[in-house]
Amino acid sequence: MRGTGDSGSGDRPPPGRPPAKEPGNQPGDDHAAFSALLEDSVEDLYEHAPCGYLSTLLDGTIAKINRTLLDWLGYDHGDLVGRRTFSDLLTVGGRLHHETHFGPLLHLQGEVSGVALELKATDGSRLPVLVTSTVKSGDDGRPLLIRTTVFDARDRRAYETELLRARQQADREREELTRLNVTLQQTLLPPTLVNVPGLDVAAYYHIASTDKVGGDFYDLFPLSAGTWGLFLGDVCGKGAAAAAVTSLARYTLRAAAVYDPDPAAVLSNLNTVLNHEYNGDDPRFCTVIFGLLTPDGAHGGFRVTLSGGGHPPALLLRADGSADQLPTPGGQLIGVLPDPHIATVTVHLEAGDTLLLHTDGLTEARQARNSNGDRYGDEALLDFVRALAPTTASDAVAAIRDLLDTFGTGIDDDTAVLAINVPRPTSEEQQ
Amino acid sequence: MTQLAVQTRTTPTGPVVELTGELDYDSFSQVRDLLPALALQGGQQLVVDLTGVTFCDSSGITALLAARNHALAAQAGIALVAVPAHLSRIFQMVGLDQVFSTHPTAQAAEAAWTPPATRP
Repeated sequence: MRGTGDSGSGDRPPPGRPPAKEPGNQPGDDHAAFSALLEDSVEDLYEHAPCGYLSTLLDGTIAKINRTLLDWLGYDHGDLVGRRTFSDLLTVGGRLHHETHFGPLLHLQGEVSGVALELKATDGSRLPVLVTSTVKSGDDGRPLLIRTTVFDARDRRAYETELLRARQQADREREELTRLNVTLQQTLLPPTLVNVPGLDVAAYYHIASTDKVGGDFYDLFPLSAGTWGLFLGDVCGKGAAAAAVTSLARYTLRAAAVYDPDPAAVLSNLNTVLNHEYNGDDPRFCTVIFGLLTPDGAHGGFRVTLSGGGHPPALLLRADGSADQLPTPGGQLIGVLPDPHIATVTVHLEAGDTLLLHTDGLTEARQARNSNGDRYGDEALLDFVRALAPTTASDAVAAIRDLLDTFGTGIDDDTAVLAINVPRPTSEEQQ
Repeated sequence: MTQLAVQTRTTPTGPVVELTGELDYDSFSQVRDLLPALALQGGQQLVVDLTGVTFCDSSGITALLAARNHALAAQAGIALVAVPAHLSRIFQMVGLDQVFSTHPTAQAAEAAWTPPATRP
């Protein structure tokens, strides 16, 4: 609604910013016009303000209270003034808060603002409000009374309740997502590793994030005629899309090994499958080591043929305490190139030797103690296993697990480790 | 948190994409999503400048492979320039050093580019 003054002042700013003087238009005219418009009286403004007003003595006795607040609570003027204290209007919890926090703070600071309390109405209902109080002092600085404004916070409380409900809903859904992810992750890994006669095996999977499924995978399984297949790999990326590739890779590797157990042929088959499935702007690949284990009658250990498709080299921890990488140089990642080079190496595991496969979540971990966030790296891992050797599969995996723990939140990506070890003969057998 | 800055400029031999920061799971889609908008003609060369890349994981490699697929589909070439040492070790491990041609600088990549024989 516009002002009702003459046409020359209709669009003028409100009083306080007087318009430039014009002939026939005195500043006093505007003021009178606005007062008339607002039917302004201090009394009416106090009684029917859009918030509650309340003045109390220092002991809390209500000295003055406006109509708005009386109407909210269902009281008459005479019910409260001189008879009740502000504290009487509060719920039990609100009274406790008022006595232990609000009151002391008010006396200390002379002002308390925006405190959420609940008032009791005569009909038994509760009214959530926001209360602000100031202490009025006399000329000598001594406190005289307390002035309080009360804002209806019902809408705000409803909004907060809604927020809380949404938050609880989100928490529940997040827990459900975590459960689903852990379950999905478990389906990508063997529940337990098979028992290979004459071999000690151990594995560990470290989940870096509970809301993104990682793409690491491993398995150890029987093939025909006393041979065994094993693999460990890492699909690029994470999340559901990576999990789909992981699943495809895992089943393809097992099926391909049955068809032709030659490790290079197994990886070549996997490459064909992935390359057909994913290309263009959304290439998916994995790095993987596939191994064929054959008991080595002559040596009493195992012959291991490993093929590498762009994967970090396996580590060989010898019985004599030495340790080194077992590179498969020139091997290329699997899934994006039509005809990748696959490198193969053969090694004999003797009693006391341990072969350790890992994914790069380990070597790409940020070191917690290192403030510049350097990655752990291949060299550090090699030093670590040199200190471990000679060891067993379970000890090696336990040591890597402890090492991962020291990185804490510095691990961005999942990490899988798989170790196989030819146990040393027990002393009885040696005799 | 990881951050990646991506800058693109055009040269007579084709677009140059400069990457600065960490190229990983959180950032790789920035590169992948930019590919369709690149003005890359058949017979040109897409240059990816890795001077400022401080970290690259498997997702980062995905982005570079997507760039390669994109270039090949456009009948263009692709070259990586200023590959940092840590990255070139990874490239060697996954065998990508055999797949991408690399140059010390973008200028060197431009100079080395010879368009393939005229295509129909």
